[in-house]
Amino acid sequence: MSNGTDIETFRQEARAWIKANLEPRPKASATGRPDREASTPEDIARARVLQRKLFDSGWAGLSYPAEYGGRGLTALHERVWREEALDYYTPDFGVAGSVTFGAIGRSLVAHCTPEFCRQHIPAILSGDEVWCQFYSEPEAGSDLAGIRTRAVKDGERWIISGSKIWSSGAYLADWAMCLARTDWSVPKHRGLTWFAVPTNAKGVEVRQIRQINGNAEFCEEFLDEVEVTEDDVIGEVNKGWAVTQTMLVYERGAGEMGASMVEPRELAPDLVALARKVGRAEDPAARQAIAKAHINDYAQYHLGHRIADRLRAQATPDPAVAAYGKLASGVLAPIRARLGMEVGGPAALAWAAGDEDGGRPALNYLNGRVTSIAAGTNEMQRNGIGERVLGLPREPSFDTNKPFNEVLGAARNWNSKVG
Amino acid sequence: MDTDVTEDQRALLDVSERFMGQTCPLTVVRDPEARNGAFLASYRRQAAELGWFSMLVPEALGGGNISGNGVLDAALIAYKRGGLLQPGSYVGTNVVACAVAAAGSDELRRQVLGPLVAGEVSASWAVASADANGEPDGGVTAEVTADGGLVLNGAKTAVQDVEPLSWLLVTCRTSAGPAQAVVAAETAGVTVTELDALDISRRFAEVRFDNVAVAPSAVVGIPGAIADLLGQQLALAAVLTAAESVGAMDHELNMTVEYAKDRIAFGRPIGSFQAVKHVLADMSLAVEMAKAVVGAAARSLGDDDGYGEEAASIAKALVGESSIELAQNCFQVFGGIGYTWEHDQHLYLRRLTTDAGLFGDAAWHRERLCQLAGL
Repeated sequence: MSNGTDIETFRQEARAWIKANLEPRPKASATGRPDREASTPEDIARARVLQRKLFDSGWAGLSYPAEYGGRGLTALHERVWREEALDYYTPDFGVAGSVTFGAIGRSLVAHCTPEFCRQHIPAILSGDEVWCQFYSEPEAGSDLAGIRTRAVKDGERWIISGSKIWSSGAYLADWAMCLARTDWSVPKHRGLTWFAVPTNAKGVEVRQIRQINGNAEFCEEFLDEVEVTEDDVIGEVNKGWAVTQTMLVYERGAGEMGASMVEPRELAPDLVALARKVGRAEDPAARQAIAKAHINDYAQYHLGHRIADRLRAQATPDPAVAAYGKLASGVLAPIRARLGMEVGGPAALAWAAGDEDGGRPALNYLNGRVTSIAAGTNEMQRNGIGERVLGLPREPSFDTNKPFNEVLGAARNWNSKVG
Repeated sequence: MDTDVTEDQRALLDVSERFMGQTCPLTVVRDPEARNGAFLASYRRQAAELGWFSMLVPEALGGGNISGNGVLDAALIAYKRGGLLQPGSYVGTNVVACAVAAAGSDELRRQVLGPLVAGEVSASWAVASADANGEPDGGVTAEVTADGGLVLNGAKTAVQDVEPLSWLLVTCRTSAGPAQAVVAAETAGVTVTELDALDISRRFAEVRFDNVAVAPSAVVGIPGAIADLLGQQLALAAVLTAAESVGAMDHELNMTVEYAKDRIAFGRPIGSFQAVKHVLADMSLAVEMAKAVVGAAARSLGDDDGYGEEAASIAKALVGESSIELAQNCFQVFGGIGYTWEHDQHLYLRRLTTDAGLFGDAAWHRERLCQLAGL
């Protein structure tokens, strides 16, 4: 295999290797996403074997640094790989995969010591370590800097206690990237530190949460005096917010934006099939809805590319620019899901028992607001765009300059005269 | 509009922007007296020197573009024009030039293309009619004569910026199906009646045809067999109109954001209130999305990559809806001042709402998208 970055050579090499080593799968759907995501320990075990095969042959972590087991290539190479591998079975870690190889892996490389990276990054790229985020808390979501999990220094150890929630795929993960408060005497952004925490460490309890769609990929965790070492600190003590900023860019999908998709040219295939099934292909209202769905898909794809171009042109990718992609998805996904219900009519409200296909519009509908809420609500994206791109002033804040240990008390006594 | 503008394109855009700012700033745009016939003729000739009307005409016929993708070049200019609500039949002239170059007789090409490219005259596409449900061949019927000419009867409406010496491309209905012809506005039997219009930055006319005889050489395409040609014209008009709208959206949003920073209420700039900030953020997303889609559609159509007509309808439908939404929201942020004649807001509201309806509104292009997909 050549180490050259020439994209066409790379494509040919990738195509040849994929053909010789991977198993073809049925033609990808328009979105390029599998119909069913990995969700069991058995799924993960299978994914690890395949990931190891990729790693050993030099096809894992294409845009990760070579010194940590990657190839040191570009995002474009990643995209070419995905295009070539679209119709083959590739390692499917489900939601844990995008978290591990996206937000977490990238943030670790950006902020951790070489020792830390040597320990963890090759293990991630070879499938040995699957990661998750101990990030949001029951009392802190949009206001992430307001988390209350505490980490206390005890000699060379850190002791972590608190609770976390909305950790995608935590029950499948080996490690967690955990945000904790390490200094309560300073304002909220200045007392935060990230830690690497093994999910099987003593004192960690992971529970799956049953969601409105019946699945349980999200988890909640209870951390009861969990011990980690100084070597497990990610970035610098009390400077965790800088790591968070990096993470947000990848959370918002900048790293993967539009990458695994091809330009959608087929008119909303799911809704066309649905309209035909329910006999509404000639109905002007259904046709309008179908066209709206397709325009929605096309616009999201091209916006993704536009935003990716803008981010590539920046020395430090700006999370506020990435917010456009996140907001687009948060605004358009619920509309897309509603259009399915509209086209389906009564058949989308009730269907034959066990008919997965018949239940899909309803399932999509229930999942429609995931991107409006998860990984930064639409409102947070609007604030980011409004303040950091358009330059509009912030709302007055009551906690930005207050030591965090005074914030909760002051908030409980809040009344309209404060500020 | 496009994130990937070449140096040559950048130079053309810069000089075009300077020309517009100096020749036709908003003070002129809002004053129909200032935009008289002499002004428009001089504006047109200067614009032609910048190459505004050559981009959709092949070099062999006296045209040429700078990037190899004439639709993209023309759309970039359209975007800049839209920002300053420029007058004149830019979309019409380019569409007519493109159609004549593609399907006109040699005689018609000789007669029309040179003067159009040089800015000596302009052209308008007479396509809309009052009661044809958006069908481009509505309003005017034509009889095919024994020699292959046409006799036109009926009326088209909302024909943009017709000048005394303009060429009109008339899309009409024959017994064989849709047909087209190029007719001079001063031809006997053609009556151009100026209309009052929502958009005061341009002029719109009703054009009546009473037994207007058209020579065979002026017929564009074969009557009953112009579906592809008509599709190309519609796609080009849709992309260029959408591009003008994106320019206007961008400009109006910037005006509104500045106002939201300057206007103080309850002790702080109104743009600090999330109720205002979030609307502006949504509109900023709408602009980004419109730029992405119109840019993609222009590339697709100009590169002839097999998806141009669909992409053009997507762009027109998306922009047609989001531009009106943006104009309405910006009006709301301006509040009372936006309801005054002096303020520029209403010029953008009028322009954006009008462009959303020209050459097919959002619903029409959505239905077209279904038909193009074979649904």
